[in-house]
Amino acid sequence: MLYPTLFDVIVIGGGHAGAEAALASARMGMKTLLLTHNIETLGQMSCNPSIGGIGKGHLVKEVDALGGAMAAATDEAGIQFRILNSSKGPAVRATRAQADRVLYRQAIRGRLENQPNLWLFQQAVDDLLLEQNRVVGVVTQLGLRFRASTVVLTAGTFLAGLVHVGLSNYKAGRAGDPPSITLAHRLRELALPVKRFKTGTPPRIDGRTLDYSVMEEQPGDNPAPAFSFLGDPSLHPRQLPCWITHTNQRTHEIIRGGLDRSPLYTGVIAGVGPRYCPSIEDKITRFSSKDSHQIFVEPEGLGTHEIYPNGISTSLPFDVQVDLVRSIRGFESAHITRPGYAIEYDYFDPVGLKHSLETKAIQGLFFAGQINGTTGYEEAAAQGLLAGINAARAAQGKDAWYPARDQAYIGVMVDDLITRGVVEPYRMFTSRAEYRLLLREDNADLRLTEEGRGLGVIDDKRWRHFEAKREAIAAEQERLKSTWVNPRLLPQKEAERVLGKNIEHEYSLLDLLRRPDVDYQNLMTLPGVGPGVSNAEVSEQVEIQAKYQGYISRQLEEIARHQHYETMALPSDLDYREVHGLSIEGQHKLNQHKPETLGQAARISGVTPAAISVLLVHLKRAEQDIKTTSNKKSA
Amino acid sequence: MSNTDVIAATATASGRGGIGVVRVSGGGLADFAFALLGKAPKPRVATLSNFLAADGNTIDQGVALFFPAPHSYTGEDVLELQGHGGDAVLRMVLGRCLELGARPAEPGEFTKRAFLNNKMDLAQAESVADLIDAATTEAAKSAMRSLRGEFSGAIHLLVESLINLRMLVEATLDFPEEEVDFIAEANAFGQLAAIRAQLGEVFRQARQGSLLREGAHVALIGQPNVGKSSLLNQLAGEEVAIVTPVAGTTRDAIRQHIEIEGVPLHFIDTAGLRETEDEVEKIGIARAWCAIRQANVALLLVDATQGVAPADLEIIAALPPGLPLLRVFNKIDLLEREPGSSGVDGVTDVYLSAKTGAGVDLLHQQLLRMVGWHGGGEGAFMARARHLKALGEAEGRLVLAEACKGRIELFAEELRLAQLALSSITGEFTADDLLGEIFSRFCIGK
Repeated sequence: MLYPTLFDVIVIGGGHAGAEAALASARMGMKTLLLTHNIETLGQMSCNPSIGGIGKGHLVKEVDALGGAMAAATDEAGIQFRILNSSKGPAVRATRAQADRVLYRQAIRGRLENQPNLWLFQQAVDDLLLEQNRVVGVVTQLGLRFRASTVVLTAGTFLAGLVHVGLSNYKAGRAGDPPSITLAHRLRELALPVKRFKTGTPPRIDGRTLDYSVMEEQPGDNPAPAFSFLGDPSLHPRQLPCWITHTNQRTHEIIRGGLDRSPLYTGVIAGVGPRYCPSIEDKITRFSSKDSHQIFVEPEGLGTHEIYPNGISTSLPFDVQVDLVRSIRGFESAHITRPGYAIEYDYFDPVGLKHSLETKAIQGLFFAGQINGTTGYEEAAAQGLLAGINAARAAQGKDAWYPARDQAYIGVMVDDLITRGVVEPYRMFTSRAEYRLLLREDNADLRLTEEGRGLGVIDDKRWRHFEAKREAIAAEQERLKSTWVNPRLLPQKEAERVLGKNIEHEYSLLDLLRRPDVDYQNLMTLPGVGPGVSNAEVSEQVEIQAKYQGYISRQLEEIARHQHYETMALPSDLDYREVHGLSIEGQHKLNQHKPETLGQAARISGVTPAAISVLLVHLKRAEQDIKTTSNKKSA
Repeated sequence: MSNTDVIAATATASGRGGIGVVRVSGGGLADFAFALLGKAPKPRVATLSNFLAADGNTIDQGVALFFPAPHSYTGEDVLELQGHGGDAVLRMVLGRCLELGARPAEPGEFTKRAFLNNKMDLAQAESVADLIDAATTEAAKSAMRSLRGEFSGAIHLLVESLINLRMLVEATLDFPEEEVDFIAEANAFGQLAAIRAQLGEVFRQARQGSLLREGAHVALIGQPNVGKSSLLNQLAGEEVAIVTPVAGTTRDAIRQHIEIEGVPLHFIDTAGLRETEDEVEKIGIARAWCAIRQANVALLLVDATQGVAPADLEIIAALPPGLPLLRVFNKIDLLEREPGSSGVDGVTDVYLSAKTGAGVDLLHQQLLRMVGWHGGGEGAFMARARHLKALGEAEGRLVLAEACKGRIELFAEELRLAQLALSSITGEFTADDLLGEIFSRFCIGK
């Protein structure tokens, strides 16, 4: 049957990408339908029970700055919070939280159920409704047809998912859930560029069978930070520590003894796995000289005894898993509750996407999350948000929106994906961002919230909170700039205490704050200077912006230098085989990627600086041809 | 290989010679060669052939060499026709090539195509151009070294060390939960010192190459009639300036290029720097100061019989700060003094006679030393101004990196910018490449 309601946007999948996509679209006023094969698993964390980390925390803050759910849900579900890299500088500082799986699912489901304009429906999707090259809806398992202007597909690892434990394997979306076979077949028929990746999880263990007394305790930060810009540590549930133990020589011997039955090492698994998240069998094989590997023992939640031994992801046969787990210090009598496994799944080469995450092949069809070859909840959520925004905008007949590489990690990720493609599951790292010093967790709201307001994803509450913070920062900066410290009026003792030495002439407070060894709180204790602002977020911004001013303005200059190329559009119908002077490889890569700008073309691997100068020449020539033609016409 | 059109040019110098070569490059030259030679040439085999006109008559007889793509200089099909020298016959062979569809190559177009087809990198391509217009034999030798990729090689080695350091720093930032202290374990700060030394050495050699290419400017200044023109004539071995006993004869800056040990030195003879009411002389004096500001070395010529005049002291005080000063005391023949040289406090003195030539060899030595020539072309890279700029930028970044070792994310930023500067010589290095290095070296991940 054809479902009577006509939707603006349909989102397929209720994981981290699907939830953010559906919420964003509905926030923008679009009549949105979220289709999931199981409402109980909305917001499920299929892998490790943690959110954030280096680069990933940055993404979560950006999603939050655009009104997304992930940070706020983590504030309600987090059972341990830590700031990583706290001593290494503000740009690489990142928030990471252990989350209770059940509380997290509840937090996400509650938001989805209570979001105006959003409908939930439990039914697996088997097919897309197409008219020419345009998607107009979906068909579910029961043959229900739903029509919509745009569709966001967030199928995770479910497309033709294949779970491996030892040499046996079975079809699944993840352990315990059915895969999407029919849809996978349909998508393959659509000639989208499909490839296979692999990922894995460790066996889960009953925490009551572990001996924590021989492990190293890893507590959370005290006081615990909040993740969301609107968050508060008082929202956090009871906090728990994590624990650290190690593999040993015997563990490694056991693993080596099982490699002949490893699907990875016998060639059963063809998909490519991530190098930064290797299985334990990979670690000991590739780095055989290392005689011990770290394992983080992470609690799965407050209401369960299960723990997640992070660091021993494996697809070895179950009997080997039991032996290797029990060889680990503190795990001697461990009871495994769920075997570890590897999963192979379909993903689509993201080179086939536009910056909006719309597929180039099918109009109105957007892809987000793991099906684009990424890994991680945070990467998925960020893409979901972006795809949701653009699916809504497309339904409204508006142009695509996406942040630039110098504006957000989201921009870096999307540009990396669609420009370079992926050779292994893509994960965010701060080293991927050339403008790392600008893209900090602390200023994600200042970078994005105003744009989000314009897009319609920021509600009044967040907007008021943001405006107040932004005004407070500006006011304090102005005060520091216009308050002068006179050396004659400053007692030497005070100068030495706060500034380290006497000042030789008059300085503004802002100038003094720029000094590497002067900190804001201390500066405010100078006579006649304080008390300063009490909001720590505000003073932090003022201080970072003052201290990093030189670096920030240099990065801004670098951006301005590249802006020229970034805005130089390449025609989407340009056949690069006809560009005079391009190498065959260059032609091939450019035809395959169809970059939107010259700047993007320059980042495609295999496109040499020579090819870029050839393209420049070509663009200039085409420009002149147009001029000549129009001159002729007017004459 | 690219689907480019066919270009042709005479590859040997014009004028009568024993052999003249016409070179042709482009996509799909097999038919072209068949039409010109009346037979299909064997790839990479020197074949005695007739070069045929449209009517089948022989224009010339010579050796044809056919290099099918991509194994050729340009990466395209290349046909080399080695015939008899002489303008008329070469013109006819070339004319026939144009008849067959080739167009005349633009200057440097063969090299440009080689570069576009990835047969050489930018540094190599530029050194081909240098080789062609190298003014001196030493420069030709140095251009040859760069062409063989020695400059590229040295830069690549440098960049490799830098990548290794960046890998440690980035791993520290992106993987804080690993048990390894990447920076301490690999002595990262010690590596920085080594890289700076390495860069300094490449820089020094590149500067040598640049000196061979660009040469150095020497401002020749001094009181009127102390013998500047005579000295120039002595150095150049030919009359370039007018030598007369009337003070103020040299009214304009006269440039003379003199090659010493292969280093082109551009002497700028200046008008006498003195107070004058003469309008023409005023102009000459203004030009002289302009020349001094551009110079690498100032050569102050003093009449040894008079000693350093108070006016000379004024001039010395007015020189741009840091400009090396060479004081040359002329006319020692009148004092019957032996030629000699000495250096104290950054000022070098040479005693000579421009008239007899005694001591001029000492002046040669001191000049070369002062413009930064360390003797011999060995080890000198033919670097362009662009390369020196990139190396200088990278050096500056490494100095800043040294200063912020305690602030690791800023340290990382300076290293990134250092590599970015070098990438204008070597090509881009991406974040993916860097992560690849990290993952291949360290066991990362939970």
